[in-house]
Amino acid sequence: MADETFIKPDLSFVKRIMAAGGDTAKKCYQCDTCSVVCNLTPTSQPFPRKEMLQAQWGLKEVVKSPDIWLCHQCSDCTVLCPRGAKPGEVLGVLRQMCIEQYAFPSFLAGKVGDPKWLPLLIAFPVLLLLFVLNIFGLMRIPEGTIQYSKLFPTLLVDVIFMGAAAFAVFVFVNGVRQYWKDLNVNPWKVKVEGNLVRDLIATLKDIISHNRFRQCETTFARSLNHLLVFFGFVFLAVVTALAFYREWFEAHDAVTNVYLAMKLLAIPGTAALLYGIYGIYQERLKNADKAGAGTYFDWLFIFVVAAVGVTGLFSWVFRLIGIKMLAYPTYFIHLVSVFFLFFYAPYSKMAHMVYRTVAMLYARMAKRGF
Amino acid sequence: MEMEKKFGVYLCKGCGIGEAVKSESMHKAIKKEAKIQHIKEHDILCSPEGLAMIKEDIANEGINSLVIAACSPRVKYDEFDFPGCIVERCNIREQVVWIQPPGGEEIQSMAEDYVRMGAARMKKSDLPEPYQTECDKTILVIGGGMAGLSAALHAANHDYDVVLVEKEQELGGFGAKLHKATPSSYPYTTLQDSPVLAKIKEVTAHPKIRVMTGSTVVKSEGQPGLLDVTVSTNGNEETMSIGAMVLAAGWKPYDAAKLDKLGSGVSPDVITNVQMEEMAKAGKILRPSDGKAPEAVVFIQCAGSRDPEHLPYCSDFCCAASLKQALYVRQQNPNAVAMILYKDIRTPGQTELFYKEAQSDAGVMLTKAEVTGVGLAPGGKLKVSATDTLLGQNIAIEADLVVLATGLVPNTVDDPIINLEYRQGPGLPETEVYNGFADSNFICFPYETRRTGIYAAGAVRQPMGLAMAADDGVGAACKAVQAVEHIAAGMAVHPRAWDETFPDPFMQRCTSCKRCTEECPFGAIEEDEKGTPFFKINRCRRCGTCMGACPERIVFFKDLNVDIIGSTIKGMEVPEVDEDELEEGETPPFRVIGMICENDAMPALDAAALHRLTLNPLIRFIPIRCLGSFNMEWIKIALNAGIDGMILLGCKYGDDYQCHFVKGSELCAYRMTKLSETLDKLGLESDRVQQFEIAISEFDKLPGLLDDFVARVIEIGPNPFKGL
Repeated sequence: MADETFIKPDLSFVKRIMAAGGDTAKKCYQCDTCSVVCNLTPTSQPFPRKEMLQAQWGLKEVVKSPDIWLCHQCSDCTVLCPRGAKPGEVLGVLRQMCIEQYAFPSFLAGKVGDPKWLPLLIAFPVLLLLFVLNIFGLMRIPEGTIQYSKLFPTLLVDVIFMGAAAFAVFVFVNGVRQYWKDLNVNPWKVKVEGNLVRDLIATLKDIISHNRFRQCETTFARSLNHLLVFFGFVFLAVVTALAFYREWFEAHDAVTNVYLAMKLLAIPGTAALLYGIYGIYQERLKNADKAGAGTYFDWLFIFVVAAVGVTGLFSWVFRLIGIKMLAYPTYFIHLVSVFFLFFYAPYSKMAHMVYRTVAMLYARMAKRGF
Repeated sequence: MEMEKKFGVYLCKGCGIGEAVKSESMHKAIKKEAKIQHIKEHDILCSPEGLAMIKEDIANEGINSLVIAACSPRVKYDEFDFPGCIVERCNIREQVVWIQPPGGEEIQSMAEDYVRMGAARMKKSDLPEPYQTECDKTILVIGGGMAGLSAALHAANHDYDVVLVEKEQELGGFGAKLHKATPSSYPYTTLQDSPVLAKIKEVTAHPKIRVMTGSTVVKSEGQPGLLDVTVSTNGNEETMSIGAMVLAAGWKPYDAAKLDKLGSGVSPDVITNVQMEEMAKAGKILRPSDGKAPEAVVFIQCAGSRDPEHLPYCSDFCCAASLKQALYVRQQNPNAVAMILYKDIRTPGQTELFYKEAQSDAGVMLTKAEVTGVGLAPGGKLKVSATDTLLGQNIAIEADLVVLATGLVPNTVDDPIINLEYRQGPGLPETEVYNGFADSNFICFPYETRRTGIYAAGAVRQPMGLAMAADDGVGAACKAVQAVEHIAAGMAVHPRAWDETFPDPFMQRCTSCKRCTEECPFGAIEEDEKGTPFFKINRCRRCGTCMGACPERIVFFKDLNVDIIGSTIKGMEVPEVDEDELEEGETPPFRVIGMICENDAMPALDAAALHRLTLNPLIRFIPIRCLGSFNMEWIKIALNAGIDGMILLGCKYGDDYQCHFVKGSELCAYRMTKLSETLDKLGLESDRVQQFEIAISEFDKLPGLLDDFVARVIEIGPNPFKGL
């Protein structure tokens, strides 16, 4: 028969999805209420109905669909699904599968999403940092005014964390290259026309304005909370870049514009981050009954971000108050959490920042829903 | 035996009658024209005081023939029930007061006409003498599957003797051949042992049930209550006395060889759901070609069902069966995948919860699909091609085993089974209307068939699974019990379940034309060696179709015959129509008779009245049992009496009939076609007599329908025989 697609269900994929929190996927009976309710779906071949079917049938190519990233998990579909199949949650799991699929090396890919491995994943940065402290003979609470560089010299921090970041970038580049290739030969055979630069700018505008979040009803609060977390990170990233510049190119006690900019951005950045992540936490709990409680994968990410924010805040507070015994350990934990965030970024939910951007860019270029 | 009649007329003044009808004028009409002197009135005749008044008259003054001029005979029948008396209900409420505007000019003449007509009818009627015989109350159940076992148990548990005849050597039918059954009890999620097994144990242990396996019914002679049924067991014949029968002969699978489009015959690995069940029951599901256990099984639903080229109906059980068999595959091998391709998933009864449960298994996959072909694939596998799928494109699936979910065909499709010794044939008539099923057309009358005393249950009647078949057996058993009990009391079985009259023909004038014999919808009339028809009363449903058919008018019921209705018609007052003396816009006093059947037309009229719709005042309605009982003689009588037109209102007929006596209104319509020629030749336009189909739900159409007919009659002009 002409133009036939060969369907081969992969039972292990179905079981993987079910184990990762998408067990309700099997309840879907294809009524299409979810697609009708979704405000973010394109009207032709809408999501999430077909993704639910592909999940049920164990058709692995669903992870190559950009549609799973066009979804912003507003959960309107989950709320209205008559069968309790939770399409929002299932698509979240499919995104996790996508991240695992494109992460490199593959033996690491599944570990971040698996609660069994958490102790080991935490142990790695803890042991690494302790080891570094040890070999440099810095394993002590320093005397005198609290200055974190006394515990961890800046150079050491730069090397370790830039190393971690570089690793993450390397894995991302690998993953995105393969993902982009797969997108362009996906079963939907959408022709990519469009202008890369123009569409990238438009995509970034969408992201920065968070306009897609505002189309959600159930999780409308996230349009603000996520915006705060996002800009929190942006500000703190700028602060870190400024700090790096200051460290290497300015005198340490000069009060320059850079210094002022750092101070002015750091506090609102931290406040935004903490307020935002707290809001996300609260909203998730509030919506848990109707919109689903989220998977381990989701919550791990929330807690890591929260940990980064909270430990960062308290490192600063304890330093100002002057309690050495609390300040330095808190700072240590802060470094561990930041390392966790950076190093495991390509394997954790943090990867969404890369894959969703790429999928949205692709959708624009393929004129799919924009 | 004629009783000495003492007449009494009782007028009710309640429900608006008293305000609308003038009492004095009514009394005068009754005394002078109906010639009845004993007249009493009451404000609420159906009240305890009103009824006491009547009962006193009956006891003290010997009144035994009553006209109750009040509400419709369809209401208050318990109140106006006076044993040993002839009671004629004149409906001056629904047929007069409620269908005319207050102060309507015609009300008085309508009401007086009805009382005159009712009195005429009452005077000609007699009390029935029930036809009672020494009859047997044994229930014969044909078929030992779930429905038959259920029926047998229900009847036996209520103290009736039961004979259960099963053609196979073991009881249980297909229900006993299952590996497991879909759940039939809460929470409807786990597969269970077949519920038939417990029933078989109960039946074999029951002292009131005689089980005959390896047996079939060879011959059924006689009539319900007096049936002589011959059963053959492995060649040995035995005749027994039976009262009523439950036909629960079940089904057989549709012939899958006809499904070549779905791959039947392409490979031994394309099997049916029945074959799949057999494999599971035998122990293991294996590919017939090489004996290996399958890893990928495709189920194709609606294989030959819901298909105009095969079976046009849904076979009801196949979706649940495939879900069940998908679980078999999964339970046998946790790495196997069961894919179900459906047109729709149907979950009758309580199977929705089972469907949800089966679906939640990781390896059970479902999609809507139109299968376009099943062919061979490399490696000894099969390729299933489909289009119109939920995945939105043409797909191909590789399978180790393909199961065609074939449907069911009732055993009555090619075998009469009951083997009646009826002139009209050995089986149930016209089962082609129901694709071979032993069904009746009306959801009101499940289990009933066109043969009195024979009730169908289970998949032989309608596609169904075990759960519904169990209930069906109980229902049919209840009907069979109703049949034997009524027959023993000399009463009709259904639908006229109170009726103790029966057709008693005046054979001296019979010409053996056998119109009655052929037209009786229920085969109640046989013919003897000389060709003379005779009645088997217990088969009769008292519709009167024979009376309507008889050109010699020899069929008599105690309260219904050609003369009784003729006299009723003549009881009407037919005024002169002088068109010259009419005023501008005045309607000439035409008169139309409306013959209404008691099952759809009269209820429709009552419904119109309940809604206070205004109906044409020139019509006088006469209820009869069925339009089938309409005798052409009444047209002659009406026209001779000067009546200008006659409208016949009855149930719908055709393949989707609503006629409670199956053929009555259809036969009447057929007779009417013969009539129109005659009328035209007499110079009486055939449009004066017309038949219309009406359903009780169409009461809102009545005002227009009746007005249009009367307008047509007025257009034709007054009856030239008027006043002659």
